[in-house]
Amino acid sequence: MHYCVSTEMIDLHHQMPNRNQRECKFYWDEIYTLICGAGFSAMEIPYEPKWDFGGRSGIPRTLRSINIKFQSVKNYMKFLKETGIKDIPSVHLDPSMFCSGTMDMYFNAMEHFASEAIGFCAQAGSEVFCLTATPPQAAVRALCPDTEIDRFIASFLEKNGEVIIRLAKQAADSNIKLCLKNEFWSLLRGSAITDYVKSLRRSAPVYIDADTANLQIAGTNPAQFIAGNAGLIGAVHFSDTDFVDDAAAYASPSPEFPQAKATQIFKDLGQGNVDFPAIHEALQSCGYDGIVVINAKQTRDFSRGLLRAVYYMKHCLGISVSDVQ
Amino acid sequence: MSNNIKLSHMNHWKTISYKQIDNFRDFYYEDKSNIAYYSDWDRILRYHKATGYDGIEVAPWDMADILKLFGTPKDFADFVKDHGLEISGMFHGADDSYRADKYDDVLAAGKAAVDLCAQLGGRHLNTCPCNNFYGIGPLDNEALQNAARVLSDIGEYAVSKGVQVGLHNEFFCAVNKENHHRFIEMTDPRYVFYCLDTAQIAIMGDNLLKFYETYHDRICTFHLKDTASIALSDSIRYAQDVEICDDGWRWFWEPGEGVLDFKALWQLVKKYHFQGWVSIEDDGTPDILASMALSSYYVKEVLFKIYQ
Repeated sequence: MHYCVSTEMIDLHHQMPNRNQRECKFYWDEIYTLICGAGFSAMEIPYEPKWDFGGRSGIPRTLRSINIKFQSVKNYMKFLKETGIKDIPSVHLDPSMFCSGTMDMYFNAMEHFASEAIGFCAQAGSEVFCLTATPPQAAVRALCPDTEIDRFIASFLEKNGEVIIRLAKQAADSNIKLCLKNEFWSLLRGSAITDYVKSLRRSAPVYIDADTANLQIAGTNPAQFIAGNAGLIGAVHFSDTDFVDDAAAYASPSPEFPQAKATQIFKDLGQGNVDFPAIHEALQSCGYDGIVVINAKQTRDFSRGLLRAVYYMKHCLGISVSDVQ
Repeated sequence: MSNNIKLSHMNHWKTISYKQIDNFRDFYYEDKSNIAYYSDWDRILRYHKATGYDGIEVAPWDMADILKLFGTPKDFADFVKDHGLEISGMFHGADDSYRADKYDDVLAAGKAAVDLCAQLGGRHLNTCPCNNFYGIGPLDNEALQNAARVLSDIGEYAVSKGVQVGLHNEFFCAVNKENHHRFIEMTDPRYVFYCLDTAQIAIMGDNLLKFYETYHDRICTFHLKDTASIALSDSIRYAQDVEICDDGWRWFWEPGEGVLDFKALWQLVKKYHFQGWVSIEDDGTPDILASMALSSYYVKEVLFKIYQ
């Protein structure tokens, strides 16, 4: 297994002290050294076109921003290597921000930016491209122009599959695995992803990104899921939680921020109750030798979250520093 | 109103995740982090009221998240009103206004923004007149005329809805130093007004006091902020993505923390008996709550002693 850390742990979407720094290149130039200092030599990039629209090219999360600040992906990779980051094995795109207006508008934007992200992966030498399988359920339902919601969702998933197949073929041409990530708010939440991926694999090499916290919140045991779908898994995200979705937050417009009771859904690694020893054992048992991305997207403190993860892996999972590197 | 001036605050809080947190103490204890203090509109609005603001100005890029929480613009406006505040207006960007072939799209987007602003109960649609300079500038006379035409037409529609379109230029906008005044003159003064962003004007190289003297009858509102970067060179203003500096340099500061002569400006505001909304804008600050308080203190303790 190859471990890396997701820079999605650096939240730009919400308010917090000193957030303004995160739009500046100097902030990121130092972040790479902190990631390296914590023991990681690889990272995942969350591909976020949102920042392109505001001209925030200091945020290294798209092809545009990296080309503006480093002139090319090649230069960026060279810069990373000088800081101790050897590669970007994984890129994740959640295209949910485009889920408004009409279904066609969503798929046009989703395919455009996913294709662009795959192009970035190819230049960066990434192994996997993780694509959020569907937007949140409530966002998809809001697109429905009439009351035939079941028929609309079936149509949405069919069109979704057509686009994913094209993208998976594009990725495969560059030896990149396209892996579908099914957040707990997805139309394909929990074990529902399995049959969907199996059906797509008749046409293109599509894999599953097993995100542990999202599986658990959706009511699916992550270790059992991994053991039962070993051949389908192309990427794993180690994410932690102790959230119990007893008020159907997954179907609400803001599923990651349950309005009835505020809480931090995604914890730093080791701070929740996800059974990582069982998950690690399941991965070893099935001979998984792919990417494991450490993520805590709602961490309150990136540096602390990073070090908590390293500590947890070393002292609770017995994963040595050499594995991490 | 008791004062001639009402104080608003342009919303640069990033996505506010909750409408109202009722389990505030428990939420705080989860991680004992001050994130709890920046997570719901209820408390954000309370901070505005507590620091002396009469209203807020909203940003269009926040509306999708706001509507997820509140449902409709009116529901959000009512929530704001319940906190003793008003919505003074909304920002808008008239991208592609310089292109004749985009007239219909730009007009439609402008009218939609006017409608949304009206639904929020806002008075001012503060509008960046064009795209950024990089990639399209400098604009020729025909491009300026195209932009002026569609802005005037949006403005006419706005006036019919009780909203004022106020031009809000940026120091990195395609309408820039060499044609800014010419562009203002091209727009219809019956329908297009001006939102004077004090820092943007100074960074562009215009004289703030002369500008106010010249256009005081067009100026319908302010974005009040300070700067220590007067009259930047063309090479900086016209560069790509210049709004955020690589090294963390800030263009904008709270009123009183930069070098602009706000006291002299306020003498002019008094001279011309300005009445209406003045928005503080704290873009680029590391701590919005501190900036809100700092700015409010300066306006109330310094400027309002000259005129309020």
